[in-house]
Amino acid sequence: MRGIVWANFRMLLRKPGAFIATTIICIAFAYLLGKSSFTKVEVPVYSSLPEEEVNSIIEELNKGDAFEFIVEDEKEVKNKVAAGSAEAGVLLEGSSFTLFQVGNTENFHLINQYMERYYVKRLKEKAVIDLAADSNQAFEKITEVNGNQLFQLSVASFSDENQWVYDPGLQSLFGFALFFSIYTVAFNVVEILREKQLGIWDRLILSSTSKIEMYVGNLLYCFLIGYIQIALIFVVFKYGAGVDFYGSFGKTLILIIPYLFSIVALSIFLTGIVKTIGQFNALVPLISVSFAMLGGAYWPIEIITSDTLLTISKAIPITYGMELLKGATISGLSYSELLYPISILILMGVVMMGIGIRLMERRHV
Amino acid sequence: MLEVVELSKHYKNKKAVKGVNLYLEKGETVGLLGPNGAGKSTTISLISSLVNPTSGDVRLKNESILRNPEKIRNILGVVPQDIALYMDLTAKENLEFFGRIHRIKKKELQRRVDEVLDIIGLQDRKKDLVKTFSGGMKRRLNIGVALLHEPELIIMDEPTVGIDPQSRNYILETVKRLNVEKNITVLYTSHYMEEVEYLCDRIYIMDHGEVIAAGTKEEIKSILSAEQSIAIKVEILKGEYLQLLQALPNVKNISVQDPAITLIVPKKVNILKDLFKLAEETKTNIISVHIETPTLEDVFLHLTGRQLRD
Repeated sequence: MRGIVWANFRMLLRKPGAFIATTIICIAFAYLLGKSSFTKVEVPVYSSLPEEEVNSIIEELNKGDAFEFIVEDEKEVKNKVAAGSAEAGVLLEGSSFTLFQVGNTENFHLINQYMERYYVKRLKEKAVIDLAADSNQAFEKITEVNGNQLFQLSVASFSDENQWVYDPGLQSLFGFALFFSIYTVAFNVVEILREKQLGIWDRLILSSTSKIEMYVGNLLYCFLIGYIQIALIFVVFKYGAGVDFYGSFGKTLILIIPYLFSIVALSIFLTGIVKTIGQFNALVPLISVSFAMLGGAYWPIEIITSDTLLTISKAIPITYGMELLKGATISGLSYSELLYPISILILMGVVMMGIGIRLMERRHV
Repeated sequence: MLEVVELSKHYKNKKAVKGVNLYLEKGETVGLLGPNGAGKSTTISLISSLVNPTSGDVRLKNESILRNPEKIRNILGVVPQDIALYMDLTAKENLEFFGRIHRIKKKELQRRVDEVLDIIGLQDRKKDLVKTFSGGMKRRLNIGVALLHEPELIIMDEPTVGIDPQSRNYILETVKRLNVEKNITVLYTSHYMEEVEYLCDRIYIMDHGEVIAAGTKEEIKSILSAEQSIAIKVEILKGEYLQLLQALPNVKNISVQDPAITLIVPKKVNILKDLFKLAEETKTNIISVHIETPTLEDVFLHLTGRQLRD
């Protein structure tokens, strides 16, 4: 069995093209479609205030996740806005700000709101300090109050079918990772059929290796290669793009195991029902794309209203894969709360693998 | 050593093998001849336990292998007709892989890999990827893989198909050497009569799933001992001339390899006069006429009505 896994990895090292290509394509798709949540919008800023004060304002403004304020000279800011390379420019003043814009954009309103909030807070603090007898003491008090709120407010909600949280970054990352892994796994599983046709499988049968070991060796490799790909993509997004996994990065790496098991089983099932590799090559894109659409990989399944489509989605592994990953991250669910999709995926895997291997064994070649 | 008793394999619409009987003694090289679709490959699959027979038995050292196929698998090396190798691995890696699945221990495996590379003459190309090999080199490695676990019996299914004469000779010499030096029993199937004549002590001829003749080369040739083979080479082969030859009462068999015609006729009959007369009538120019003792090829033609490579 180890020999089979070794040989497969050896061949992967010799021909890593397909693996690298699908990984890069997946990263590119997930990045481009989830871009808005992975990158900060740059906002050029200028001011006539003293440098120290401007820096302090910029430091405060840049604490937010959405925007990055960059100090430039007036001409440069106006040029950028006029050329459309910045959605808005800002003139910072002591107690007010001015926004420059060329056209109305979604981000312009958000920048405006953000700046308003900041200046309201800043003016309140300034007013308190101005009224206080000891301005230094007042400043310290304000800092202390800001650090220790009077009320600790925690918000909890019960998620139900009508309530869901949408994180476009994680949606596209999870969706494309699960979608592309089908290709990686399936096109490795079909190698069993190719080996059967080449006569390599017969050689293995005549060796001291048992059939169970032959299947386990090949399918374990397919599982591992799918796992490595998804893990690699997650690592790139977490450490490269700084994507927030809501503190559940490790959990996501565990939860892809039942999903990949079901995909390996699905692939062996498809290999069992086709007659030729050509048929398999035609079937896999058809299955994977329709699964991705119906299972909520391309868009959140929560926006689908058709009962028929929702019923069909219950038979699709991607649905449960997305449920697991989004549940563990965005909804912060525990393993026990995710037991249902885990069980469904394992059940799907066991059934499809059983039928698939049986069909493979019954076929002549 | 190995005995095949009334072995049959029936598929839905086809009887691939029909009651085949054959045996192999230890250290023998036995040929299995037959045209395409004769049932040779199915017979090999049945003997090597890859396919279960519909009826009949395969017995190794007097014990049936049907219920316990490991018995034959442990001592058997099969060289399949197709190149069953990993093209993206080197020759050495292929041998190491197949050695590992045969559970050959690490130290022993290195010794065996080196030995096999020497036998098949690929020591200097062991680090090259198989996909860069010529057809002959791939065939040699295909044989090498079957030798790794030092089998007592090797079944070779047309191991020289589609390769150059030099590689073919190398393979034939290797098979001969393995048989003589290591006393390995060989069951050899081929399309090439001369290979079987060169290598094999005994021959089985199969057609339509049945063994239609068996014995030593001499025994099989004696089937046509009362006949002679006449090979006529003509300038332009005319259909009319061929039809007239076929109509001659003493012609037992006729085969055409344009522009040559081979006739099987009884030794006692003088047919030459008729041949020239018919040639004159149809204005066919005869270039040469050779009268020969029938070869195995002629026997095969006589028995099956087909050329071996049809």
